[in-house]
Amino acid sequence: MTPSSAPLLRTEGVVRRYRSGASEVTALAGVDLEIAAGEIAVVAGPSGSGKSTLLHLLGALDAADAGRVLFEGADLGALAERQRTLLRRRRLGFVFQAFHLVPVLSALENVEYPLLLDGVGRAERRRRAAEMLDAVGLAARLGHRPDRLSGGERQRVAIARALVHRPAAVLADEPTGNLDSRTAGAVLDLLADLNRSLGTTFLIATHDAALIARTPRRIVLADGRIVADSGRAA
Amino acid sequence: MRFAWLALRNLARNRRRTATTLAVVAAGTLALVLTAGFVAYSFDGLAEAMIHGGLGHLEVAPAAAVEARGAAALDRPLEHALAGWEGLRERLEALPHVAAVGANLQVMGMAQGPQGASVSFVGVGAEPDRARRMGFEKKLRAGELLPETAPREGEEAALVALGLAGALGVAPGDIVTLLATDAGGSLNALDVRVAGLVTTGVQELDSRYLELHLAAAQRLVGAGLASNLLVGLDETEATGEALAAVRAAVAGEQPPLAVVPWTERALFYEQVRNLYRGIFWFLGTIVFLLVVLATSNTLAMTVMERMRELGTLRAIGTGRGQLAAMILAEALWLGLLGSLAGCLLGVAAIAGINRAGVKMPPPPGAVDPIDLRLAYVPEAFAGALLLMLAVLAVAALAPVARAVRLSIVDALGHV
Ligand SMILES: Nc1ncnc2c1ncn2[C@@H]1O[C@H](COP(=O)(O)OP(=O)(O)OP(=O)(O)O)[C@@H](O)[C@H]1O
Ligand SMILES: [Mg+2]
Repeated sequence: MTPSSAPLLRTEGVVRRYRSGASEVTALAGVDLEIAAGEIAVVAGPSGSGKSTLLHLLGALDAADAGRVLFEGADLGALAERQRTLLRRRRLGFVFQAFHLVPVLSALENVEYPLLLDGVGRAERRRRAAEMLDAVGLAARLGHRPDRLSGGERQRVAIARALVHRPAAVLADEPTGNLDSRTAGAVLDLLADLNRSLGTTFLIATHDAALIARTPRRIVLADGRIVADSGRAA
Repeated sequence: MRFAWLALRNLARNRRRTATTLAVVAAGTLALVLTAGFVAYSFDGLAEAMIHGGLGHLEVAPAAAVEARGAAALDRPLEHALAGWEGLRERLEALPHVAAVGANLQVMGMAQGPQGASVSFVGVGAEPDRARRMGFEKKLRAGELLPETAPREGEEAALVALGLAGALGVAPGDIVTLLATDAGGSLNALDVRVAGLVTTGVQELDSRYLELHLAAAQRLVGAGLASNLLVGLDETEATGEALAAVRAAVAGEQPPLAVVPWTERALFYEQVRNLYRGIFWFLGTIVFLLVVLATSNTLAMTVMERMRELGTLRAIGTGRGQLAAMILAEALWLGLLGSLAGCLLGVAAIAGINRAGVKMPPPPGAVDPIDLRLAYVPEAFAGALLLMLAVLAVAALAPVARAVRLSIVDALGHV
């Protein structure tokens, strides 16, 4: 990465502590990280090492106790909630381990939802959502509700939802955690494809060894600190 | 608006709970429209009963008599009685909406039965032909009504109220002697044949009331006199319009005349009306509170159960206002659908009750049992619908506040 091109995502000495009663847990203890536009990276590390916490901060879902989180050069901590909402709606996409689809909406309607939020007209919404579902290989499942889809299919719908509005970055927290290894492999292929074809930046928190092995950039957390970053080493 | 459709879908999540909530809202709506229907029918029925029971729509009486006793008083003292009123009656009967104008002469005195029983009476000399044209109804319990033509001397007849007839010990065909003081202060007597027994519908009045032909009453207390003129209209709704027209027509009469609408004379009606209104507002408040309590609990539950999903929606860019709109829309759908169902049930229930012809015990002071009937009050239907929307909006306040304040990260971790 050349120093002149500003990174898409950047953290500077980020600290996040959780207080529960008298005890305090430091989930992130000073994280410095840069992710360039178009990168695909995994965040690895043992359970409790702070992977989810990091993704929440990068995704403008949570605020750091110290340090700064920058997205496209903007300090997320300095934004109003309304601006953070708009950022999430337009520039970011999320994929969760448990899919988190809206149960009463069809696959197509779930994918339409981010466009609905932004006031995109019905016809265009339908067209773009259908296109996106086609891109994740679900053209034949548009009218199905989540409860009538398999786990892998649900995660594809969730991926389509995360990408339909063409965000700059997609943050995925254990996207394969609820899938068997073959389905997980297919979902990973899909993410790699979309990274190449759309140029979307992907940051994936995972325990999945296969996923870690095949991704060029690996950021490893332990006790809230980055202990290895293959991207930096490279 | 964008969320109305999504909100409607959300109602299908837990169908049983949605159905229960809709049932609560519908029941509240039903209670309100039925009560309003009952109250409105009772108001109308009471008003019509009073008007056609002999009050008329308007009374034209000497201003001095009205001042002396008050607008609501039924008796108009003899010393102020009208003379030469026939021309005025002709003019009034020509006015729009006026069905007929009947002259009344009130007489008070002692009545003596054939066995010598002596009871004080209040009587009215009326014009049966005008009374018929005004739609007045006599509640005849025995014998027959008075003939419409004026009786010849010595052939006077009377309708005697049940209580008075009992006290006098008379039946139709018997002769009663009436004693009364005339306008000049001398005591006159008149023998009348009991034509029929009637009830006024009011127990206290029944013990003293009798009715004569106007001509017979005039023979007793003064030729040509009338205590007042009663104006009967073709429809009660025209009262305001006719009041203005009649007032304009009598302006400048000497001695001055007052025109009193039935609403001012029927004090009892106003009291019943206020009582019913109080009951209606009381019930409305209770329904409001009950439905708020019942629905706010369910709405809170639907939000609590969906915390993780709501957190997800916020994570993927749903604004706080949008989330609030979605939950409010769910509540308003419940209010709208539930109250529409309640209105439909209301229409069906009113039709059913009216067809069934249920009898109710007589109201206090009245004699006859009344039919339980309900009116369709469009305002009550619209009002109940709006009230239910308001109820659900109020019930949604706490759940909306909860959803708006949720921490996204906590909600995502919610299980
Ligand atoms: N809301 C919270 N309240 C208190 N402590 C928290 C909270 N969220 C996370 N933590 C703590 O912060 C630390 C990091 O948690 P985090 O969820 O980021 O780990 P993770 O790497 O995602 O773990 P996993 O692989 O199990 O998902 C853990 O010790 C966790 O117990
Ligand atoms: Mg995690």
